[in-house]
Amino acid sequence: MSITRRVFLRNSALAVVGTAAVPSFLTRAAFGAVEGARNKRLVVIFQRGAADGLNIVVPYAESQYYAMRPSINIPRNSVIDLDGFFGLHPSMSAFQPLWKQRHLAIVHAAGSPDQTRSHFDAQDFMETGTPGVKITEDGWLNRTLRNLPPDKSAFRAIALGPSLPRILSGSEPAVAMNNINEFSVGGRSPKPSLAANAFEAMYDHSSDSVLHGTGEETFDAVKMLKSADPGQYTPAAGANYPRGRFGESLRQLAQLIKANLGVQVAFADIGGWDHHVNEGSTEGQLANVLTDFSQSLAAFWIDLGDLAEDTVVVTMSEFGRTAHENGNRGTDHGHANVMFVLGGPVKGGKVYGRWPGLDQSQLYEGRDLALTTDFRQVIGEAVARHMGNNNLATVFPGYENQPAKFLHYLG
Amino acid sequence: MRSRVGKLSAFLLCLSLACAVPQLLANKKQKAETGSDDQKRAVHALNRLTFGPRPGDVQKVMAMGVDRWIDEQLHPEKISDSALEARLAPLRTLKMSQKELVEEFPDQMVIKQVMDGRKPMPSDPARRAIYQVQIARLEQKQERKASAKETASAQPSPAPPPAQPEASNNAKTAEELAAAASTDTQSGDSNSMNSMAPSNDASAGNSSNDSAMAPPAEPKLTPAEEAEARRREDRLYADLKVQSLVDLPPGERYNKVMSMSVGEQLAFADSMRGPKGMEFLTGMDPRQRETLMAMSNPQVVPVEELSQAKLLRAIYSERQLEEVMTDFWFNHFNVFIGKGPERLLVSDYEKNVIRPHALGKFEDLLVATAKSPAMLFYLDNWMSVGPNSPQAQGMPARPMRPYGPYGRPRMYPRPNPNARRRQNNGLNENYGRELLELHTLSVNGGYSQRDVTEVAKVFTGWTIEKPTDGVSFRYDPRMHEPGPKFVLGHKIKDKGEDEGKEVLHLLATSPQTAHFISLKLAQRFVSDDPPQALVDRMAKTFQSKKGDIREVLLTLFHSPEFWADTTYRAKVKTPLEFVASAVRATGADVEDAIPLMMRLGSMGMALYRSQPPTGYSMKADAWVNSSALLDRMNFALALTSGKVKGVSIDTAQLAGAPAPTDPNAILSTMEAKLLAADVSRQTHDSIIAQLTSPPKNGAPEQSNARVQVKPAEADTIAGLLLGSPEFQRR
Repeated sequence: MSITRRVFLRNSALAVVGTAAVPSFLTRAAFGAVEGARNKRLVVIFQRGAADGLNIVVPYAESQYYAMRPSINIPRNSVIDLDGFFGLHPSMSAFQPLWKQRHLAIVHAAGSPDQTRSHFDAQDFMETGTPGVKITEDGWLNRTLRNLPPDKSAFRAIALGPSLPRILSGSEPAVAMNNINEFSVGGRSPKPSLAANAFEAMYDHSSDSVLHGTGEETFDAVKMLKSADPGQYTPAAGANYPRGRFGESLRQLAQLIKANLGVQVAFADIGGWDHHVNEGSTEGQLANVLTDFSQSLAAFWIDLGDLAEDTVVVTMSEFGRTAHENGNRGTDHGHANVMFVLGGPVKGGKVYGRWPGLDQSQLYEGRDLALTTDFRQVIGEAVARHMGNNNLATVFPGYENQPAKFLHYLG
Repeated sequence: MRSRVGKLSAFLLCLSLACAVPQLLANKKQKAETGSDDQKRAVHALNRLTFGPRPGDVQKVMAMGVDRWIDEQLHPEKISDSALEARLAPLRTLKMSQKELVEEFPDQMVIKQVMDGRKPMPSDPARRAIYQVQIARLEQKQERKASAKETASAQPSPAPPPAQPEASNNAKTAEELAAAASTDTQSGDSNSMNSMAPSNDASAGNSSNDSAMAPPAEPKLTPAEEAEARRREDRLYADLKVQSLVDLPPGERYNKVMSMSVGEQLAFADSMRGPKGMEFLTGMDPRQRETLMAMSNPQVVPVEELSQAKLLRAIYSERQLEEVMTDFWFNHFNVFIGKGPERLLVSDYEKNVIRPHALGKFEDLLVATAKSPAMLFYLDNWMSVGPNSPQAQGMPARPMRPYGPYGRPRMYPRPNPNARRRQNNGLNENYGRELLELHTLSVNGGYSQRDVTEVAKVFTGWTIEKPTDGVSFRYDPRMHEPGPKFVLGHKIKDKGEDEGKEVLHLLATSPQTAHFISLKLAQRFVSDDPPQALVDRMAKTFQSKKGDIREVLLTLFHSPEFWADTTYRAKVKTPLEFVASAVRATGADVEDAIPLMMRLGSMGMALYRSQPPTGYSMKADAWVNSSALLDRMNFALALTSGKVKGVSIDTAQLAGAPAPTDPNAILSTMEAKLLAADVSRQTHDSIIAQLTSPPKNGAPEQSNARVQVKPAEADTIAGLLLGSPEFQRR
């Protein structure tokens, strides 16, 4: 019943400027006054299933690429040229404006250095941020918040999905949200139900420390969400999210960010990248999922409007795929991959990282794109320079993350 | 009217609080003094050895004596489980062989074989219908692909990349995305983990050359458009038909579907997905249900039935400890049903590998898992090949005859340099690593990377026959790495299959394993962070009793740590434990467990779908998060108000026989029934406060509703108790 202090703070911040319909830059200004400079956001996108980086950002100037992929290559005249050497898969035309506006950067031959080619191990390693170490229980995105100034917003760390992924589990409170419209107790009505009140009272006063804490977070989140009234949400003009789970996740995330709920780190994932058979070339399975992927992210970007200035989006996938196509016109599990970085402070329009080449002798274990950039180096830069957490040894234990080695993709 | 009720209940509340509070306090005090009275002991034992007490269980255990009851639970073979058997009977796939499963619920590969004439179309009408619909679906997919290509090439398309016409593009992607999403929701299953089973990849079968397989079909003109129009009609028609069929008796409903044309059946099957389908199936016999479900998607039927069975066992089995332990060991030796042919292997794995050894000897269990096709496939050992094995060296597959083609003696087998090197001719360490790390020694068990590699070599040749042949373990000497191996400081002599058995024995009898298994058991039965002394004593028993799991559990159940006050309700329930215990506590009747299964999926604990080999966590931190907590509260409210489909519940009965009129009396009765009357003041008061609070801003319909539907109040009270902090623990 009683509104907590932090909800009150947020609501009063809104009240300062008047109604909920005020332009976002005004509310942000009001927040800035209350909350300090704490509105930087890091959004992590996981492509589960090992995306084929070589057909996503195509090294079309390498003749070796065409030799290794006789039936699934992206022809030179089909790629969206990026820099005369690399080109985007043609179904990612939604990324073209972002590249031209220099909001989108690419890191090629990046990923986890662990040699595993097992989906689950590799995903786990990229989420815990400790490749090769299986006992790490918490995720690096959670640890990212650990040394930042405390902020008890219930929406500080959010995963779009039914459960909290490894990347966000840990000591910092994080909310998993499957569907904004179902994030309540006993129905969607704007008034709290009898049951909701009773549950809140029970958990608020519970002596059960574990459940009490989460219960409090939960009801704060529920109330914040109700007061933000996300039900009446229309994405910004031009933000056309494709239908599907991933587009829906990003739409809801944009909704939460724009509702000023204090989102600092967020996570969403998209599956369907494991193309061992009939991967396709300019069309086909990979093309379809790339369309979904790029259009969703482009819509998210447009939808955020000027909030995109303080947002950095990083994409990753557990490993790349074999440089050679296999006997089923697909690709098998490989090693290094491509990462996208999208954001206001990003110095985009450039492919970062050292290109290791595709000659047989240059391949990792004679079959895969070699790794020249550790994914922790890419993320480390965003964590330190964008989020302001310089304690990278905590975020990535066991990895020497030297700022001197950053790629400097952030301005 | 309304205010009188309010006043009355407020009065009763004061009265009852006045009476109840001292009593409660006294109760608490007494409990603290005597440690654990009989009832508390019984409740605790039930909380830990079962999926939660049912109405009457506490009294039963008290009457029997806790120790005797525990002893009985340790010997499940002495407990009759006929009521459960009756509930499982309709789930026919549980008793099917892998071969039958493949035939009855064909995957795309089988369907293609039938299309090609490499396999006959089944004659059984139900089976035939399943096949025909799948064939029609595949053809439809192929035609769509072909027509999309045609239109693309027909248009001159001046600006290739960005200029896909908006409208048609939308229509196309919407369909495709829907398809993509549906594979996604199966947690990336076949789609993401299909490395060894391309045929199982739902989206993999549409290669362009497959169009050669497409039937001769209609002449040119616009066959695709024509077909599309026909399908649209079928869909419309099917939808109308479904509407009109729902009111028929189940048998007739089924017959009507069976007499539809294949096109109509396909449209019907597609319209059946979701709750509408569930409704349509109610009342049909098991075979009929399975057939219609298989029309929409044959491959999910065995998976769903297995999941249903797991829930029904957790809820209704009398052999509760055996079920708890089966769940524990399955999770310990986890396999993921979404990986390729696992959907055909997991049922056998649970039934013949895990359950028979759940209370037996650890080594037997370990060997059984090592040889099980489910584990061999899941952790890739089946394709692990010794780098110096005959196979990797390109030796011919047939065993060498002692004499060459012209009768000359052959000195040694020669590698054939022209033999096409197989794609898999290397070591796969996946099983070797998990065997040491997760199954036996634990990550701190003192092994090195070299041990992992050597163990992997030991198990080369432990492989499986093809799933379609009725998969089974097979030792293939051609894949086996020759030479001695060195594992944990022991020399394993070159002796083929027996090397693996020697290593498994070595691991099963290691003190590290004894400690690790004891720790995990203590985490399951005592607390997330169990006392070291207890774990040590259990490990000692493990070693002295040669890995006898029953003996280790006896040590555990008779330890002071197990019965300590701090252990009482120390564990947060996993979603499975929560859902099962809620259904058990309310004495609800589960007619269809699929809705419960779905709920578990949205709570993040989809049954048999833990992808990593670690299985699901048993610890609180994995299961306490906002989404999960809201899910639990909402599940509790939905369950008690009869909104979970397939589960019927009688809250009036829970509220007490002569139906008390005041909420406080209902609450007390329910507290006794659902939480053994051990409810905190906060929880009790919070519920009472909400029930008796005067309406704010007096919404008139609300007050009407309240007076009218008294039972709804009982529903809410029960729901609040099941969603309370106390009920989240065991």
